[in-house]
Amino acid sequence: MLISCNRLKKYITDAEDIDFLHLWDDFTLRVAEVEGVTVKGDDLDGVVTAKIIECEKHPESDKLSLLKVTDGEKEYNIVCGAPNVRVGFVGVLVKDGGMVSGIKIKTRKLAGYPSEGMMCAVDELGIGSDHDGILELPSDTPLGVDFKSLYPVEDIIVEIDNKSLTNRPDLWGHYGIAREVCAITNHELLPISLLDIPDDKKDLDIEIANPELCKRYCGLEIKNLVNNKTPLEMQIFLHYTGMRSLNLLVDVTNFLMLELGQPMHAFDERVVKNIRVQLANDKDTFTTLDGVERTLSKDTLMITNGDKYFGIAGIMGGLDSEILPDTTSVFIESACFDAGSIRKSAVRLGLRTEASARYEKSLDPNMCDVAIKRLAYLLKQENPEMEITSNLTDIYPEPLLPKTVVLKKNKLKKYTMIHFTDEEVVNSLTSLGFKVEVLDDAYSVIVPTYRATKDISMDADIIEEIVRLYGYENIKEVPLKLELTGKEEDTVWNKEYDVKKFLASRYSLNEVHSYLWFDSDLLKECHLEKQNVSLLGKNENNILRDDLSLSLLPMVKNNLKNFDKVGIFEIATVIINNENKRRLSILLADEEKNMKDIYMNAKEIVVSLFQTLKHQKIEWQKEVPDGYYDENLSYAILIKKKTMGYLKVFNGVCTRYIGKKKALVAIEIDFDEYVSLPVLETLYQEVSKYPTVTLDYTILTSKNMKYEDLLKILKPFYNKFVKEYKLVGTYEEEKKMKYTMRYILGSEEKTLESKEIDKFKEKFMEHITKNGLEILF
Amino acid sequence: MKEKVLKLKEEALQELQKLNKEADVLNCKAKYLGKKSKLNELLSSLKNLSVEEKKEMGPLLNQTKKELEEAFSKKLEEINSQISYDFDETLPVYVQTGSLHPITLVAKEMTDILKRMGFTVVSGPEMEEEYYNFEALNIPKDHPARDMQDTYYLSNGKLLRTHTSPNQVRAMQKYGAPLKVCAPGRVFRNEDMDANHENTFFQLEGMVIDKDISISNLIYVMRSLLSETFKKDVKVRLRPGFFPFTEPSFELDCSCLICGGKGCPTCKNSGWLEFCGCGMIHPNVLKESGIDPEEYTGFAFGFGITRLAMMKYKIGDIRVLNSGDIRALDEFEIE
Repeated sequence: MLISCNRLKKYITDAEDIDFLHLWDDFTLRVAEVEGVTVKGDDLDGVVTAKIIECEKHPESDKLSLLKVTDGEKEYNIVCGAPNVRVGFVGVLVKDGGMVSGIKIKTRKLAGYPSEGMMCAVDELGIGSDHDGILELPSDTPLGVDFKSLYPVEDIIVEIDNKSLTNRPDLWGHYGIAREVCAITNHELLPISLLDIPDDKKDLDIEIANPELCKRYCGLEIKNLVNNKTPLEMQIFLHYTGMRSLNLLVDVTNFLMLELGQPMHAFDERVVKNIRVQLANDKDTFTTLDGVERTLSKDTLMITNGDKYFGIAGIMGGLDSEILPDTTSVFIESACFDAGSIRKSAVRLGLRTEASARYEKSLDPNMCDVAIKRLAYLLKQENPEMEITSNLTDIYPEPLLPKTVVLKKNKLKKYTMIHFTDEEVVNSLTSLGFKVEVLDDAYSVIVPTYRATKDISMDADIIEEIVRLYGYENIKEVPLKLELTGKEEDTVWNKEYDVKKFLASRYSLNEVHSYLWFDSDLLKECHLEKQNVSLLGKNENNILRDDLSLSLLPMVKNNLKNFDKVGIFEIATVIINNENKRRLSILLADEEKNMKDIYMNAKEIVVSLFQTLKHQKIEWQKEVPDGYYDENLSYAILIKKKTMGYLKVFNGVCTRYIGKKKALVAIEIDFDEYVSLPVLETLYQEVSKYPTVTLDYTILTSKNMKYEDLLKILKPFYNKFVKEYKLVGTYEEEKKMKYTMRYILGSEEKTLESKEIDKFKEKFMEHITKNGLEILF
Repeated sequence: MKEKVLKLKEEALQELQKLNKEADVLNCKAKYLGKKSKLNELLSSLKNLSVEEKKEMGPLLNQTKKELEEAFSKKLEEINSQISYDFDETLPVYVQTGSLHPITLVAKEMTDILKRMGFTVVSGPEMEEEYYNFEALNIPKDHPARDMQDTYYLSNGKLLRTHTSPNQVRAMQKYGAPLKVCAPGRVFRNEDMDANHENTFFQLEGMVIDKDISISNLIYVMRSLLSETFKKDVKVRLRPGFFPFTEPSFELDCSCLICGGKGCPTCKNSGWLEFCGCGMIHPNVLKESGIDPEEYTGFAFGFGITRLAMMKYKIGDIRVLNSGDIRALDEFEIE
C-alpha cells in the first residue's frame, strides 16, 4: 500500500516537527514493514504558472500551435502540440533551464520556430497519467508562481508491505497509519471533518437478507452534484497512491477508501429503486464494471436493485450502475461485509479489488457512517449547492461494541522481563486509542472497535501493543535456564542420519529428494494403475506413492542420460493403507550385462545395513512385493520371521522404462521397523589358544544346481570340530559348476590330532559322494 | 701361494663391487667363501703345509676370510638399505564417494546446534490431519492458508502439511510442559514452480515451553542459533509480524551476512536480512493442547531450511534440490 506523507500531515498536530523521510525504519520496527520510500517532485524545477496570451496555428503543422505565454513579468514564445490550448488558458510553464521528469528544458527550435520552454501536461509534471492535453489551472491562479508552492507536488511516498498488514484492518487507510505515526512520535491525532446529516428526510429502501454476511449497510442520497471535477490536489494524491483519477464522484469514493480504509460505492441515483443485500442464485451471470461477464454461485453475496443484480458485494459494482458523464445525483453505499465471505467470492471469481482486499481484513463496521459523513463533507466542498435528499439510512442489525480485556501486570512482566510503570502502559495504549483503567494487579483495557474485529481479543494482544511501542530492540536477551533431557524420539533423527552417511560413504551412493506423488508419465509408460490417496483438484501427478522405489525411477532414468551407472537412495514417506510410512529405498542401475554385479552389490548393502549396523542376521525369502516386480529375483528380507523390506528387481516393462539394455535393482526397507530394531549386543568371545586347520574342497555340481541347493546338502553334515564353513570361490564351466568351500576345523580344548582331521576328511568325502556330488583334487 | 690368496681376494672384491642385487651377492659370497670355495680349499690345505708356511699363511687366510666376510656384509647392508621401487608415484588418485543431500547436511548442522542447547528432535507425519495443521494452531476456518490454492487437500479428507508447526501440537500433546523440541521436516504448498518456488520444501520448527519463558529467551536462542550456524557473531532484531499461532508474533531479521550490517545490495542497504517468523505461543494453542497458559508461556520459531541451504551453498534455482540430478547433488560431500 502506498502512503502519502502530505496526507498524513493533515491528521497530525505539529506535523512539521516530524522527519517524514527518516521515520520509516522506526515504523518497520514498531508497526509494519516498509518496503520503500520515494521522494516526489524533486525532478521538477523552474516550473511556474503562466497564461496564454496569443495562440496561432503553426503554418505547416496541423497539431502544433505557436503560443505567446506570460508569467506576469516576461513573455515567452512556446511551440506546443496540445489540442486544448487557447488564449486565456492558465497552465504550467517550464522555463528555459528548468526541469520536468528530471530532464532539463532549454530554448530550442521546434518545427522552425524557437520555443523558450514548454507548457506541461500532468504526466510530464509527474502528477498524473493523462497526456490528452496540457494541465489547465483555475483562471484566477496568480501568474509566475512556483507550481510546487501551489500544489502538493513535493511529497514522500511510502510503500508498506500489504502482507504485514494482514491482521491490521485499521491500517488500510491513511488515517490509521497517522494514528501509529502519532503513537511512535508522541504527537496528537487530529479529528477529521464530517458533515452533519440531519435525520429529517425519507429513509432509503434498504434491506439485508443475510445479516451474518453483511454486518452493516449505510446509504445516502445526494442530488444536484453539478461539479464533477476533481480538485487537482486530490488528483495528485490519487496518482501518488496508485489510483487513476476519473471524476469527482468516483475519485471521492476512492479517496475515502485510501483515507479511512472504508470501501465505498457511488451508484447513479436515477436507476436505484430498492437495495437488497442477498446471496446470488447458483450459476447466474452478472457483468461487472470492467465489462466482464461473471458466473455467480449460491455463496456470492450480491447487492440487488429492484430485483436485479446491481453489484457483487464488497468486490465490484455492475456495468448498469456506473456513474455517467451526466450523473448529478448519487446513491452512496458504505457497508461492511463478512471477511471470509468476501475473500472466498473474490478467489472464486478470480477478482481481487482494492475493496475486497480491505474487506478481507475484517473492517470495523463502525466506520461505515463516519465514512459516509466524511464523503458528504468532501463533496460539499466542491458542490456547495448539493442537496442531501435522504436520511443517512443505516441498517445495522448487531452493533459492534468496544471490547474490554484485562491484562495482569505480572503477565506483562513474564512475557518481557521488563518492569513497565503504569504511566508507560497507559501512555502507550491511549496513544493507540485504547482506554485504560489501572487496577491493583492488572489493567482493564477498552479496545476500540477498529482494533477489535479480529486483531485484539486477549491479554497477549495487549502485551504486543505495549511492547512494540516500547521497542523490541530494547529487550535484553536472557539465556534459557531450563534443563531438559532428550526425549526418545531424538534417536530416530540420529539413526536416519547414520544410515544416510553409511550409504553415501561406504557404498558411494547419492542421496536424492523426490516428490510424495507418482509421476503420471511413469505410471503411463509402465502401464501401471495405482490406487491410492490422491491430491484433490489435480489430474496429473496426483496419486500419492505407496512404493518409494517405483517413484524414484524417473530420477534413475534421467541420470542414466549422463552416467552409465547410477546408485541413489532416499529415506522418505510413502502412504500405505491411509497411513504415513517411512521407507528407505536404494536403486542401483547399470548396463544389462552387469546385472549380476549390481544384484550382488545390492545384496551386500542389505546384509551390511542389518549386520554391520544392527548386528542382526537376516533371512531371505522369495517373495514378490508387487505385480511389477520379477518373481525369480525378488526376495523379502526377514528378521526373526518379520519382513523388514525387499530386495527387488523390476519387471521388463519398468526396467525398459529407465532405458534400453539396462539392469535395475531396488532395495526397499521399512524404515519405521528398521529404526525400532535393536542393535544386538555381542559378548566377548575368547580367542582359542589352539591352532585351526583350513581345508578347501572344490565341489563339482551340475550347472542348474544353485548354491542354495548345495547348502541344503552341506548343512546336515555334522562334525564337532567344524568351526565355520563358507564359499570362497565359484567357477562356471560349460556344463558344470565348481564351488570351492573352505572348512575351518579346531577345538577350544586342544590341538587337533591328525587322525581326527583324517576322520573329518573321510566322513566329508563320504557325505558328498553319497549325495551324488564329486570333489575335485 | 701368498700371491694366489691376494689375487683371489682382489678378484672377489672386484666382482662384488659390480653387484647390486641381494641374490647375486649371496651367490658371489658362496663362490668365494662357501664350503667349495677356493679360499676354503686353501684353508683345508693348510694342514699339508710346513710349520713356517703355516705361520705365514694361516693368519693371512684367516685375515682374508674375515675381510671378505666383512665386505660381503657391508655390501648386503648397502643393498638392503638402498631398496628402490620402480613406479610413477605422481599418478593421481580418485576417491569414490557418494553424497548427502544439501538439505540433510544443513538440517543436521542446525539440529546439532539445537541439541547442544537441550532441544529434542521430533518428527511428525507429512500426510496430516486438518486439526493438527490448522485448528489446533488457532488458524480459523476462513483463513487464506486453508484455501485449496495453497494447501494440498487429499481424497481421504486429510492434507499434506503446509508447515512443520503441527509438530508443536503433537509434541505438546505427547509430552506436555515443560518442553524443548525442534522438528525439521518436509512441507507442501500448492504452488506453481519456478526458480524460487517449490511445492515441496523443508522447514525447521522450534519450540520452548516452561514457566516464565519470555521474549528475552527467544532473542537469546535465535541469536545463538544463527551465530553458530553462520559461524560469526550475528545480531538479530524483532519486528511486528502476524501468525495465528503466536501472540505477539515477530518477524526476525539477522544482521546481513554479507556486509555485517553496514548496508549492501544483498540486504538492500538496510543491513538486515529477513530470516524467519517467530513469537510467543498463542494462549489458545497452549490451551488446545492441554497446557495452562496462566502457568506456562513459551516461544516458537519456524524457518525454511531449503532457503538456508540455498543461501549456504549459493544454489540459484530451488528446483535443483528435488531434481535428483546427480551431476548437481554429487558436489555435496559428507560431513
